[in-house]
Amino acid sequence: MTTVTDEVAVVKVHEPIIVLRRPKSTTGVWSWFTTVDHKKIGIMYGAAALIFFLVGGIEALLIRLQLFQANGSVLTASQYNELFTMHGTTMVFLVGMPMAVGFGNYFVPLMIGARDVAFPRINAFGFWVVCAGAIFLYSSFIPGVNGVPNGGWFGYTPLTSTPIDAGFLPGHGPDFWSVGIILLGIGSTTSAINFIVTILNMRAPGMTLMRMPVFVWMMLVVAFLTVFAMPIITVALIMVFTDRNFGTLFFSPAAGGDPLLYQHLFWLFGHPEVYILILPGMGIVSETLPVFSRKPLFGYAVVVFSGIAIGFLGWGVWAHHMFATGLGPVAVSAFGLSTMLIAIPTGVKIFNWLGTVWKGAVRLTTAMLFSLGFIAMFTIGGLSGVLHSIVPSDTQQTDTYFVVAHFHYVLFGGLMLAVFSGMYYWLPKITGRMLNERLGKINFWTMLIGFNVTFFPMHLLGLYGMPRRTYRYDTGLGWEGINQVVSVGAFLIALSTLVFLSNVIVSLVMKRGEVAGDDPWDARTLEWSISSPPPEYNFAEVPEVTNRDEFWHHKYTEDDEGHLVPIPSGGAYGSTDADKHDGHGIHLPSPSIYPLVMAFGLLPIAYAAVYQSWIPLVIGVLILLFGMYAWGIEPSTEEA
Amino acid sequence: MATIEQTAEVGGPPSQGTPGHDPHATSTGVTNTKLAIWLFLSSDCLFFGAFIASYLLYRGRDVSGPGPRKLFDIPFTSATSFILLMSSLTMVLALAAIQRGDHRRVRIWILATALLGATFIGGQVFEFTEFSREGLHVSTNLFGSSFYLLTGFHGAHVTIGIIWLLSLWGMSTRGRLPTKKAESVELAGLYWHFVDVVWIVIFTVIYLIPQPH
Amino acid sequence: MSEGTLQRVEGDVAVATRGELGHSMESAPGLLPGELRPHPSPFKYVVIAVVLCIVTAIEIGTSYLEGDIPNGLLIFLLLAMALFKFVGVAGWYMHLQTDKPLFRRFFILGCVAAVILYTIVLATLSVFAA
Repeated sequence: MTTVTDEVAVVKVHEPIIVLRRPKSTTGVWSWFTTVDHKKIGIMYGAAALIFFLVGGIEALLIRLQLFQANGSVLTASQYNELFTMHGTTMVFLVGMPMAVGFGNYFVPLMIGARDVAFPRINAFGFWVVCAGAIFLYSSFIPGVNGVPNGGWFGYTPLTSTPIDAGFLPGHGPDFWSVGIILLGIGSTTSAINFIVTILNMRAPGMTLMRMPVFVWMMLVVAFLTVFAMPIITVALIMVFTDRNFGTLFFSPAAGGDPLLYQHLFWLFGHPEVYILILPGMGIVSETLPVFSRKPLFGYAVVVFSGIAIGFLGWGVWAHHMFATGLGPVAVSAFGLSTMLIAIPTGVKIFNWLGTVWKGAVRLTTAMLFSLGFIAMFTIGGLSGVLHSIVPSDTQQTDTYFVVAHFHYVLFGGLMLAVFSGMYYWLPKITGRMLNERLGKINFWTMLIGFNVTFFPMHLLGLYGMPRRTYRYDTGLGWEGINQVVSVGAFLIALSTLVFLSNVIVSLVMKRGEVAGDDPWDARTLEWSISSPPPEYNFAEVPEVTNRDEFWHHKYTEDDEGHLVPIPSGGAYGSTDADKHDGHGIHLPSPSIYPLVMAFGLLPIAYAAVYQSWIPLVIGVLILLFGMYAWGIEPSTEEA
Repeated sequence: MATIEQTAEVGGPPSQGTPGHDPHATSTGVTNTKLAIWLFLSSDCLFFGAFIASYLLYRGRDVSGPGPRKLFDIPFTSATSFILLMSSLTMVLALAAIQRGDHRRVRIWILATALLGATFIGGQVFEFTEFSREGLHVSTNLFGSSFYLLTGFHGAHVTIGIIWLLSLWGMSTRGRLPTKKAESVELAGLYWHFVDVVWIVIFTVIYLIPQPH
Repeated sequence: MSEGTLQRVEGDVAVATRGELGHSMESAPGLLPGELRPHPSPFKYVVIAVVLCIVTAIEIGTSYLEGDIPNGLLIFLLLAMALFKFVGVAGWYMHLQTDKPLFRRFFILGCVAAVILYTIVLATLSVFAA
């Protein structure tokens, strides 16, 4: 054991240059703008994602109102284009990704026994960039701007890339869209690098990679996917932007350019992107199912390796989004096969989840119901996905509502149900209070029913030939009745969301929910070993890890017949110590204003790009440089 | 981006509850910042790869306008390429200098690298203006679009590198770049060498490989 | 069990007391954190620079052989030399050869991914078709 030396080394300490007075407080409203605490940042990501879930949901409801009747006139064609573009863009970039990063931010450090992420200020920067990106995208709705993105969330060329004055998509829609996503991409990439370094470098002693919770593994794979996929779409978007604004010819057929280049670049990003969206959800249910079955995850290693396999194989399937573009028989066969192949690791995971629940002591809490719902809905979505891998079949289904059904089953029935499961499971840890179980069950059942009523009929609509992305359909096609059912289902989803929101407001905001305590679920992983909400420094003492599901083994051992025997001294790690321990002596990274400054320096630059104006460009660059230098000079921790 | 987190790294769980414990220890034994920059550079491979691939796709497909055969001045670009290559040498010598605590040399070598880089950029600017005078703009043809964007973004990367290096030079002159912060120079060096390595690829693939007729 | 106060004082003596997964930054005598082997000396850097210059000169010279040798061979030679220079800078100036393998693995992953993915894209768009 080492001893403390009382010598004070003689040090030449430079006086820190104070540019702006350093924020010190970690409480109060202002502290949220300057926080570098991964937990607060996680909460902000989650809150933002929930807000945009509502916004994207309203966009969906407007779409469904328009499609309720044949020859609907609720929306003009132009407005419809804007709404389905923003619905998709919002759900993918402002809900799915931030939600995963929110949960990841809050729980990855806790699950690996760390006190924060590797780069706390960069973490804050990532969040504020996402904020700036969201503000930028939605500012396009301001009357008079005429810039709401309207080329689809995928922005195919040459529709989006013909010069702004050539008439295909007049106005600034594609400009706000391309620049907005580039901005969001900066945030995603920095967060991803942060996650990789945190997970690889900051694990508690004894936490080998194969002892990490599956959620952490999935966030690691997702972070790698993000790091490699975002640069590709960045290039594609730059090309769209320059084609539109500077006359480049990347996607101009007349000049010899090939619009298909865009599709390749977009889907090279786009397919890994959907795994970026779903893997965190798979990670969440890999946590909840064992807890609520009182059994370890069936085949942990296989689940981990399947996740990694999906991460690799996911790079090899992108052209299945392009089967109808005339790629030729060799290409379509290759991509059809690779798409079928990726169903294997996915299916393996499903069997492992089922194996986890099988013969477990199952508790049907709301979180568990959502997780079970995830398995069922994701399986259905996966089956329709495999149907898409059959090239001749896909040639019929592509661009119809069959595809819409597929991806909503995997992204809503999959990801969002997993997210709701995560909410019910983890909000008690975050807030210290339980959500109401009765309201939760109403939430679940209305969500499940509403979801299926909305999206199952879309399979039929697709097979009956209803195309995507069209603002109205005629009578006499046999589509109206089904569309009406779908629209009703959408409003049922809305109702379910309101139930969820009331649950959150009553139980958490108004604090009428039961006090959670450290470990309300008798769970397995390290975040449950500390108080709810956790102290600022997370762990009073960094745990020494000797097992997978370390916390479970801290609480229980098994007798000779394999029955669980509680360990008398087990329970929350040093929970009694935590009462006495007030965090004295643990130095955490100090708050900082510069991440916010830098992120909001990027915002004027984004506007400068769209309007090709020098003034916001200069202002933005100056703010950015100021923020960057001030940040560089500022030490990460101020001595108190 | 310049010297983020370099004053006090949050490397590993900061306090082990054991006094005197190495506060910078990490699970892999490599620093957070070095790992981060390598990840960023790996990401940048995909970025430049996309522009290079697009250039290769559009080689020889121009419908009109001047092409590389007419415009490229191989001797000139060879000279600028040599200069950038030499800047990698001066960069790594700067790193060696700070690792052995020779701060005067660090400043000399860093400044030399920045100057060589600036010369390279000067060469690029000259090349672009020449091509522009001969009728090649981003909107002229596919060659114009793909060439200018690829080399333009490369040049932007070099410029950012120069600013980074000059910042380090400034810090060193003020005594704020001690030996224990050698990693700052290493990180800037990794970025700089990467930018050089991308140019090695660009020079060969775009300039030297036989142009289509 | 006392909580040591964490003071980031220059010249802090680091003592590795952790068991598995607690790699101290003071790995072995003479090596810097992250290094597996000692990095090259300044003299070696200069030697490498000279080699790179020579190879570049050969490369440029080779490019002038266009028309005298088959295009396929020319392209192969040029790419081989470019790869040699790439490895020279990445391996020695960027210390991939002497550092811990983790960096090498990530960077190779990025490079290989870029080459494979974009080659498939180009193939699909008939760049390599006769």
